[in-house]
Amino acid sequence: MSTFGALKRETRFMLRDRAFVVWMFAVLCFSSFAVWSGLAEVRQQYESIAFLMDADQQDRSVEFSKQSDWGSAAYYSFHLTYDPPSDFAFAAMGQRDASSWKHRLRMLALEGQIYEHDPGNPELALIGRFDFAFFAAFVLPLILIFLLHDLQASERSAGRFDLLVASAGSSGSLWWRRACLRSGGVLLATLVPLLIAGIFSGTTGSTLISAVVLVVAYILFWTLVCLWFASWRRSAPVILASLIGVWVLLSTVLPAGSRVIIERMVPIPTGAEILMTQREAVNDAWDLPVENTMGPFVERHPEWAGYTHSGEGFDWGWYYAFQQVGDQTAEHLSEAYTAGRVERDRLAGLFALAAPPALLERRLQNLAGTDMRSVLAYEGRVRAFHSELRDFYYPGLFRGDPFDPGRLSDLPQFSP
Amino acid sequence: MSATLTIAKEEWRYWRRSNLALAVVAVFIVILISVSWLTALRMHAESHERAHHQADSDQTFHSQPDRHPHRMVHYGHYVFRAPMPLAVFDPGLDSVTGQTLFLEGHRQNSATFSASGSSADLGGLSWLTPALIYQVFAPLLIIVLGHGAVTRERESRALAPLLAQGLTGRTLLAGKMLALLLFVLLLLVPLVVSALISLGSGESLLAAASLVGVYLVYLSVWAGLALLISSILHKRSSVLATLAACWLALTLVLPAVAVNVSSYTAPLAGKIEMELTMLTEVRDLSDGHDVDDSVYDRVHASLLEEHGVDRVEDLEVNIRGVLAGMAEAKLTETLNVYAERRMEAEMRQADLLGGYGWLTPALAVAVASRTLSGTDLDHYHRFLRQAEEFRFGFVQGLNRAHAEELSYIDDINRSRDEESWMRARVDASNWQVVDEFRYEPAGASVRLASAGSSISMLIAWLAVLSGMLVWTGGRLKP
Repeated sequence: MSTFGALKRETRFMLRDRAFVVWMFAVLCFSSFAVWSGLAEVRQQYESIAFLMDADQQDRSVEFSKQSDWGSAAYYSFHLTYDPPSDFAFAAMGQRDASSWKHRLRMLALEGQIYEHDPGNPELALIGRFDFAFFAAFVLPLILIFLLHDLQASERSAGRFDLLVASAGSSGSLWWRRACLRSGGVLLATLVPLLIAGIFSGTTGSTLISAVVLVVAYILFWTLVCLWFASWRRSAPVILASLIGVWVLLSTVLPAGSRVIIERMVPIPTGAEILMTQREAVNDAWDLPVENTMGPFVERHPEWAGYTHSGEGFDWGWYYAFQQVGDQTAEHLSEAYTAGRVERDRLAGLFALAAPPALLERRLQNLAGTDMRSVLAYEGRVRAFHSELRDFYYPGLFRGDPFDPGRLSDLPQFSP
Repeated sequence: MSATLTIAKEEWRYWRRSNLALAVVAVFIVILISVSWLTALRMHAESHERAHHQADSDQTFHSQPDRHPHRMVHYGHYVFRAPMPLAVFDPGLDSVTGQTLFLEGHRQNSATFSASGSSADLGGLSWLTPALIYQVFAPLLIIVLGHGAVTRERESRALAPLLAQGLTGRTLLAGKMLALLLFVLLLLVPLVVSALISLGSGESLLAAASLVGVYLVYLSVWAGLALLISSILHKRSSVLATLAACWLALTLVLPAVAVNVSSYTAPLAGKIEMELTMLTEVRDLSDGHDVDDSVYDRVHASLLEEHGVDRVEDLEVNIRGVLAGMAEAKLTETLNVYAERRMEAEMRQADLLGGYGWLTPALAVAVASRTLSGTDLDHYHRFLRQAEEFRFGFVQGLNRAHAEELSYIDDINRSRDEESWMRARVDASNWQVVDEFRYEPAGASVRLASAGSSISMLIAWLAVLSGMLVWTGGRLKP
């Protein structure tokens, strides 16, 4: 019999198998629902950003209209920073549910502001949403297991096994063909909604292709695992229970163990240490001689060495200098916190090599720009923007440039 | 009765001889015990660390030198949320919410630094807790053990003789159910240990016992479901496949789908969005820094009249402190309106989500478990409200010191020279306005009441399944 004929016959068998058709339909529904609600969420986030940008702009112009010096202008004006969802974020929301992707900052010490948290509902974040990444990484393998575990056992219990093997010539290729057809069906039902959503939302071609390659490789991996178990000469329930055991091991036990180990390996400073160090530095400055603040400040900004404190009580230049010195004092802790997160994320990437579900989810989040690296990159942009703000105001504060409301329109703009 | 017992005993004997059952149970127990141990360690470390930070923060505040009181309003204070005793079993929102809250004048900050924000990301299931094991993985164990209960007898052609001997279908199912329920009780032993430990750290017996009760009902639901499918379907392999599919749908798919639906149908404005909405709606809010603000002219005049003087300098109190206090009160009132609005929106979303417990007992048990453990959204909000009350209390205490202990003349002249700068301060004993922040969770009966709807969902599930089992038992055929 030709391979093509065999394939046609197997396809006919497969489509007559009610359980298979039901599962195919379920996969199609899950995948469609996941990408549809991902798209809806992305749209909501864009609407929210549009509102925020508008309200932020209005608020700032109202505040500016009341101010008559650089110091107050900087003190009373807030600036929105945000990280818009990428063109593939609909497939993997990742850290966007747990970490802040928007801030409202002013030119005070940044360390006290950058960790402000504006997340959604923690109750929802705890359970986690049903996005494509979750579906593909955790639900899909179970469906493959349900479909493939009894490939041989069912034929054995139906008494057709020997006959089938004898008529197929090579028994290996028979099971291969069946498994590949079923997995191929699942793959198709998974990817079609993703591709449609990707084209609809203008996802970059290379991103979509990478996602497809990842999902194909992942399904291939689970197909091989299932095939290996399915060839056991055991009853279907034993094979099914063992495969679910493998799933629990790879999706839960290994990742959970890895997380505990990684957190022990890479300790990070607590948030309280960063915040309290920064606050002490800022507040102590009020009672310290001006030189104590200006020394470390000028070290970082030699161009303002010529600045002299007006000498009596309050002065905006001095005030913002100690805000910056507050950041400088907490810098080592803040850097350690960031470096710790980078290192934890790097190790998680390594450990995930042993846990394919975690690996796939991480890779998809990476493509979607919703992984830890993207969060850190956004934090970096916020830091850069904050320092641009300082560069903008410092000439007015330390060189005594006269206040010119017209120049406020040249304020640095945050670009995501 | 004795027939029921005999059947139950037989079922246990069968499990004891089954290598698969023993292996699965052994692995489960090992994982459950290690996760319970690790979670307890983590929560104790957290508890210790937060208490340490809190003591540190209190001590730093109290040891500040004599100062201008408004400086201390901006100096602010940190509070930390101490974990609940039952968090060793169900940490709930602990890992996804901030634990550090900075309290200062004129602002309501958010709780910062959640554990999940700095953790190695290895997927949602990597946050393994004893509660999650009971919610998601214990049902698997019940399925593996229970799926063969009736079909096994059928496949080995033992069912027909059993029924022919006069054993009724209902007795048979009762015996099998009894065996499964005994197994469920055995599974609950580690939970009972966790609950006993939490009693030692101050949890009430009512909350701990209800928690055990909730999981007993939940696991019984799964035992009932396993038995039902086992008595309806004829092939053992299809029983297991069906139960595994139910498990996938009820524990993994539906709760996550419910999250999407809730967040889509009841969208939530973020904190910044709420802040900006507030700013557009209330433009004339003042932080009280500027005494001549026209909003306060009226206050100004009435204060002079009240004290029968013509000039603010002659007032017994420092008008700047009085005004700061009034401004703070007015601002706080407005901030609270918006904070409450946001918390209500969050609760609405959470309640909507909780409603899907009618569709899946896994969601109902998760909500009930968090509520009883005091680690749910309501308790997070309690923390925020108590911290806000505490913030307002000490800021107003400082404003009072500003009004009563710092003379107006010294205050307005503070920037004149070094000496005036030094004179414009109050005694450090005033910093005692910050006393110990003690987070008060809801009492056990309040928690039980708010878990009521989720508990009734679980009971409804159990009742429906029991009814179906009785019905099936009456029609059981070989």
